[in-house]
Order: sequence, then structure tokens, then C-alpha cells
Amino acid sequence: MTGPTLRWRVLVVLSLAAVLPTVVVGSLAISRARHDVEDEVKRGALAHIRALGQALDGTLQDARRTVELAAGQWADAPGDNRGTQLLLRRLRRDVPIVQSLSIVDPNGALLFGDPVPGVDVGSHSFGGYIGDAMFSGPRPTVHLVVQARGRTGELMGVVVASLDLGFVREILMSARLGPGARLLVVDGSGVPVATSDLLPTSPTSLAGKDPAVDRALASTVEGTLSANGTVSAYRNLSSYQSLRGVRWAILHQQPEAEAYALARTTTRDTLVIGAVALALALALGAFFATRLTRPLAALAHRADAIAAGQIVDAPPVRGPGEIGTLAHSVDEMAKRIAERAELSAALARGDRLASVGVMSAQVAHEINNPLTTVLGYAKLLLEDKPDGHPDRAALELIAEEAERMKKIIGGLLEYARAPRPSEPMLGSAAGTAMPAMVVRHVGELVAPQLRRARARLVTDVTATAPIAIEAHALQQVLVNLVQNAAQAGCTAITVTAAPAPGGVATIIKVADDGPGIAAADRTRVFDPFYTTKAPGTGTGLGLAVCKHLVATAGGSIDVGDNPNGRGAEFRVVIPNAA
Amino acid sequence: MRPALAFATMLAACGNAPTAAPAPIHFLHTFAPAETELVNKAIADRGLAVEASLVPFARGQQVIREILRAHHACPDLIRIDATWLPGLVADDLLAPLPPALATLDWSPEAAQLATYRDQLWGAPQTVDGLVVVRDAGTPSPASPAIADLVAAAKAQTAAFAHPLGLRVDAYWLVPWLRAEGAELAPDRIAGGGAARGLADFAALFGQLAAAPPPLGSEAPDELRRWTEHELAYWVTGPWQLGNLAGRDAIAVSALAHAPRGGQLLVVPRCAERPDDGWRLAAELTSIDVELIFSDAFAAVPTRRAALAHATPLALAIGAALANAEMLPRSPITPLLFDDLNPALAAVVAGDATADEAIDGVRRGWARLSGSAP
Repeated sequence: MTGPTLRWRVLVVLSLAAVLPTVVVGSLAISRARHDVEDEVKRGALAHIRALGQALDGTLQDARRTVELAAGQWADAPGDNRGTQLLLRRLRRDVPIVQSLSIVDPNGALLFGDPVPGVDVGSHSFGGYIGDAMFSGPRPTVHLVVQARGRTGELMGVVVASLDLGFVREILMSARLGPGARLLVVDGSGVPVATSDLLPTSPTSLAGKDPAVDRALASTVEGTLSANGTVSAYRNLSSYQSLRGVRWAILHQQPEAEAYALARTTTRDTLVIGAVALALALALGAFFATRLTRPLAALAHRADAIAAGQIVDAPPVRGPGEIGTLAHSVDEMAKRIAERAELSAALARGDRLASVGVMSAQVAHEINNPLTTVLGYAKLLLEDKPDGHPDRAALELIAEEAERMKKIIGGLLEYARAPRPSEPMLGSAAGTAMPAMVVRHVGELVAPQLRRARARLVTDVTATAPIAIEAHALQQVLVNLVQNAAQAGCTAITVTAAPAPGGVATIIKVADDGPGIAAADRTRVFDPFYTTKAPGTGTGLGLAVCKHLVATAGGSIDVGDNPNGRGAEFRVVIPNAA
Repeated sequence: MRPALAFATMLAACGNAPTAAPAPIHFLHTFAPAETELVNKAIADRGLAVEASLVPFARGQQVIREILRAHHACPDLIRIDATWLPGLVADDLLAPLPPALATLDWSPEAAQLATYRDQLWGAPQTVDGLVVVRDAGTPSPASPAIADLVAAAKAQTAAFAHPLGLRVDAYWLVPWLRAEGAELAPDRIAGGGAARGLADFAALFGQLAAAPPPLGSEAPDELRRWTEHELAYWVTGPWQLGNLAGRDAIAVSALAHAPRGGQLLVVPRCAERPDDGWRLAAELTSIDVELIFSDAFAAVPTRRAALAHATPLALAIGAALANAEMLPRSPITPLLFDDLNPALAAVVAGDATADEAIDGVRRGWARLSGSAP
């Protein structure tokens, strides 16, 4: 359960780490793109209607200035009828948008030109102006009223020009517009003067119906408005200096769906890219979560096994960084636990063996006396029986077996005996031994046995320092090791004694060319009653006694392969005497 | 309260809630662009539903009169120049100011603006007029008299290219006419005084005052000259001082016989919802809105409580205008400028003498007043 849970948690964390930034950054990008596009659309629309407004203004002002010049010219000579007629003809010809022309006196009475119904053109007209659009004909018109003042500034009359507003629509129609967009010019009452689309211009006011028109008429300059799914940019034409008095407004309107199509496309692309990025991030997250948690799961498995006391022989867990360190630590911990378990088992075994030893020593002691009696009587009976006597073979067998039993009992007693100081021997001080002397003496002791076994003993002693072990004990150890080698059928036995590196101990090695000791047996050959010899040929106590003696002296003994060829090598390390 | 009863009460409350937004107040105004922005913000801040429509100032009186006479799309509130009031009242197009507003703490100058035929007809929105503006380091003219202003300007000819800031506009001509005993009225333009005043005024251009710029660019031209320190004494109104950099470093003094005017918020008789119109007028003349305008445009507040907290510049302008004289309260007063402006331009340009120009004006004004033969 730990593995999947951990993996899912890591996956969730990685997913959140991928989802949150993607969502946040994506939202910001979409919002920013939308905002930028909206700004650009509005800026573009405003720039468009500014240019168109200037074009309208230019046309109207050209007409106004021309009429003003003409009015001034007429006012300087108002009585020149012929000149006035000529002037009016020229005005109609030179100003194409002029539909009709009139000149009235300051009281509003018609002097020249066409009748001007319904326009306040008298002295109360409050100066010249461009009025609101009129829709009496097929095309909207507007009245341009210009006061005709003489040289002294005195009002001589008023020139009224009816301007054909068809040019407004022509200007609007000539504009290049985006999809669904339209241009609209309304007069001060909100009545459309012209539109860029093909809808017929009607005198119906849009005031109160189109929020953009209301806003345009209320504004003094320009602005934008989004309402009813339409984005509108407007400019009040009164903001043009030369159009003072004109209450018109120009609007650019476009459905939001069309105006912000780019934003929608950008949003869609951003969403797709974001979704792909998110999917990739999640896939990578799942991959890395699995990869990250796999060694952790293995470690958890291993920890569970260790906790259950199982021996873990699986290969070590590998992982990057902290996971690798953790795996290493778990392995170390497992190794330590195994060592401790082994140590505990060894201790338990040692206690058991010690008890057995004590009991064996007591048994051996009790058996030794009756066995001596058995052996003595067997030998006495043998002396009474002549050669060839039918009982002699059985008595000899009793004596041999009794002798062998005594050897075993002797060994047991030796193993169980507490260390005891012995008399100095071989020129050594009490509690110490000179390796060279001990080795030479051992050679003399085992020489007959080696001859029988046709084995050769080579000694090489370079160590000169006395070592901290009883000479008898060292002698017993070496004799045991050499005899074991001889009994194993070895033909070449080497005993060397050399100072250990650092000079604090002496290493004595006993090597042979025998069959050697299997790796599995090397840790057990020093256990009591463990033997690799044929049944009845060994007691299993020799090496145990050797280890006991060496350990008692503070040294160590182990066995390995002979580095110089086949066979085994026993390595005894004894501290040098102080 | 039991849950069922509470639920029923809630439903009843929901049922009583208004479902339709209030109809917007129709507001026709003549504010300049910057003023419009401020007014729109003030309206929005108060959560008022207002449908505003701009009337260009140059045609304001004519357009408003046409709209009110037509009784079509009649606004609930209109902002007008104070000089338009007599004409609109004479045509019986306006409703008198209700008592609740009439009894507010209007300043005497503001109350005078809104009064015609002993009746208050609108809520005064701002007081303005002509004053003399100078840098605080420039010596003040010895007195408000025109002669002292001209003398002070002459003393500054070495330091300033054109020390006197004037505009070729009949409104600026009024003090010179009045100094000679004439007035912006058909019956007070006769005699030699008007011609002398016109001649004296016109003679200043090209010498103490700069030659007139192209028509329509007077305001930015003056502002540029002031900013570039070409002017020592600038005869102007608060409408030019709102955007002035370093407003705290300017001094304001009075000009004798200067005209005083202002703007009014009036409700037409044809208004569909006059109460809402007056409510909007009250909001736009509230103390805090007046102070906002005073701070932004150096407008002189019309309420005494607002005057107490107005900026030093607005207070100085108000003080300088205290002795200014309103233009004659006649329906034809605004129309008189139609004749006087071209006459002034003709004299300044040298196309006519002052006498010739005044003769033409006299004939035009006689026609306007109906006294022409």
C-alpha cells in the first residue's frame, strides 16, 4: 500500500505543480491577449473615425470658407444684382456639395436665390452655423448659414447654403472596414446622416435606442463603449476646432464577435497549447513519479523484510541523490542487524558450548578413573594371554579403544582447563615465548610423525621479539596445526613467523599443500567437536583448543587458502610482549 | 420566526422590490471636454442615471431654444450661460428655482446671476468674468482702472514682448466701452464714448498686446504666451487658469468695469421629470462637487460653504470679481456680440474706423431691439 499511495501522492503533487502554473499563466496570457486585442481594436476604430471626421470636417469647412468669402464679397457691394447672380453661379459650380443658395436680408427677407423655408436666418440667428441634418429630399441635407458682413463688420445679409450630405456617405462607403463593421454619422438629435452599409438612411433618431449614440452625443471628445454585443468607438464632431457648432457624432460599430475574433483565436490556440502542455506535463509527472517512487517502494519492501527478520539477498537498491543515500543506509542497517543477529547467535551458541564444556569436563573427569581401571585391567589381562590366545584380539581392541577414549577425555580436560601460568620454557620469560625457539622445538617434536607421513617441514622465522603467550600454549597450537596438516596428507608444510606491520605483533603462518578447507567450513573448524576428519580419527577439539589458547593470549587465529598454491594457511597473530 | 413565515416574508419582500431601473435624467450641457469628464465622474460616483447630451457653446442658446420650443426630447436639466437666461425666461421656457434650492447659501454674485425679474430661475453652477492675472513677482497695477493697467503694461515692455494679454473679442471690449460711458446695450452705444473705447482697445493690439492669432485659436495662443513669459498682465477668466502650471505663483487683481457672468443649471418647463432635474442640479452644486471644480478649474464656487474651503486662486478670482458688473439682463444681450465682434475685428484689422464700426453696430442693435425704422 505504501508504494501506490506514495506514487499517487507524488503524482498529485507533480500534477498540481504542472496544472497551477499552466492555468495561471494561461489565464494571464488569455486575459492579456484579450485586453491587448480590445485595446488595438478600439484604438484602430478611433483612429479610423478621427481620419474620417477630419475628412468630413475638411469638406464642410471648405464649403463654409468659400461661402464666407463669397458672403463677404457680396456684403461689400450688396446692391450689385448682376455681380450677385454671377457670384451665386460660381458658388454652385465651385462647391459641388452646394445644393441651393440664398441670400436674405438681416430681417430674413429673401434677396437672391432659392427660397429657404423653416430656417432661422435672420439677425436673431446668433451668427453663422451648420445646422442639423434635414431629410426632406431623397438625400439628407444641411443648412450652412453664414452672416454676410461688410467692411466695417455690419450685417448686410445672410447667405444660406443647402449642402448635400451625400458626400458623407461617400466618405463612409470608401472606408475599408473589418467584418461586420459599419460607420455611422448622426446629427445632434441622433438621426443618422449617413451610414457605410446599404441600409437606407431614415430620419428616425437613434437617441435612447443605441447607447453608443447617446454616449457620443453626450461626450465632448471621443471614447469607446461595449454594449449589446457591439463594440463602438465614437467621436463628437464638435471636438474639431473648425466644426464648432456642429452637434454631429461619428461612430464605428462592430459586433464583438467579429471585432475580437483575433482574441478568440488567440484564446483557442492558447487553450490548445495549454492543454497539450498540461497533458505532457502530467505524462512526464506520472513517469517521474513512478521512477522516483520505485526505489522508495523497493526500500520499503526491503525494510519490511528486514523488520520481518528475513535475510535480504536482493541486489542493493540504486537511486539518485537522497534516495541513493537512503538505500545505502538501509543496506548498512541490514548488514549491521545481520551482524548483530549473528553475534547474538554466536553468543548463545558460546554459552551453550560453555555449559556443554563444563559438563563434558565433569563427565570426562568422572569417566577418566574407571577408564584408567579398564585400561589397566585390559593390559594386565593381555600380559596373561600368550600370543595366539583367542581372547587376545578382543583385549587389544579394548585397550586401544580405552586409550583413544582417554585421549578424548584429555583433550576435553585441556579445553576446559582455565588458563594457568606455566613454568618458563625454551628460554622465555614467564607468559612469553620466543617464536624462533618454539618453532624449532615444534619441528623436533613432530619430526617422527612427519617422517611416517612422508611430509617435509620448512620453517622461516624472522620475528625476533618475544610474544605474549605461554611457550607451552604456542607449542601446543603449532604442534596441533602441523599434525593436522600431516594427517590431511600434506607433503609440504611451512611454518613462518614474521613481525606484523607496525611491529606490535607477530604473525605465525602454518601453510600446507593439502586439500585445503572449504569456505563454508572455515568459520566452523574452530568450533568444538567439529571435524572434517574421518569418523573415529579426530576428536574435533584440536582447533577449538588452539583458538582458545590464542584468544586467551589476546591474539587471533583464522584460516584461508594457501596464497602460494593449493592447500590451507592458518594465520596466528600474537601481540608482542611489552 | 418560523421558517415558513420567514420564507413567505422574504418572498413578499422580493415581490415588492423594484424590478426596473429608474429612467435616466436627461441633461443637456455645454461643458468643455475636461469639465465633462469631471461631471460624468461626479454623476457616476453618486450612482445617478443620467443621459447627458452636449450642446456646443457657440450655438447653445439657439439650439436650446429650438429644442424647448419644439417640446420634443425635452431635457430635464440644462446648463446655460447666465446671459441666455433673460431670453429663455422671456419666452417662458424655464421653471423657477424651487424654494428648497432657492434658500441655499448662494453667494450674492451667484444669486444675482440666477435672478431675473426678481425671481431665481436656476441653480448657479459657477461665477466667472474677466480679471487681471500676473506673476506674483510682477508689480500690481496701481488700481483696477484701465489707465493704470495700461501704464503698468507699458512699464514692462522691456521685460515682456507683449506685456498685455487681450483678446479680440467683444467681451474683452466691454470694460473699455464702460470706461467711456457706453454699455453693451442698444440704448447705450450712441455717442462718441463707444467709438473712443473701441479705438483705445483696438489700438493696444500690435503694441502692448500681441496681434490677434487666427480665428478660433485665441485660447491656446494666450496660454502659450503666458507659459513663455510673453505676458505681464493677462486679462482673462477662470476658464483659462484651471490648467495653468504653477497656479500658486500667480496673483489676481480686479479690472474696473469688467463683465461678470457665470453658468446656471435650469429646468425647462417642458421637462418630463423636473424634480429629478432639480435633484441633479442640487448634486452638481453640492459643496464637494463645487470644491472639485474649484480645485480642477479654478472655478469660483457659488455656495458660501464651498467658498470657505475654496483654493486661494479661486478665492482671489472671486474677490476680484466682487465689484465686476454683470452684462445687461436683456434677452438680446447675447446677440449683441454678433455685431460687436465683427466691428471690433474690422477696427483691429484696420478695415474700418471706430466710428464707422460703431455706426454699423448701432444700426444692427437697433434692428435687434426692434427700434430700427
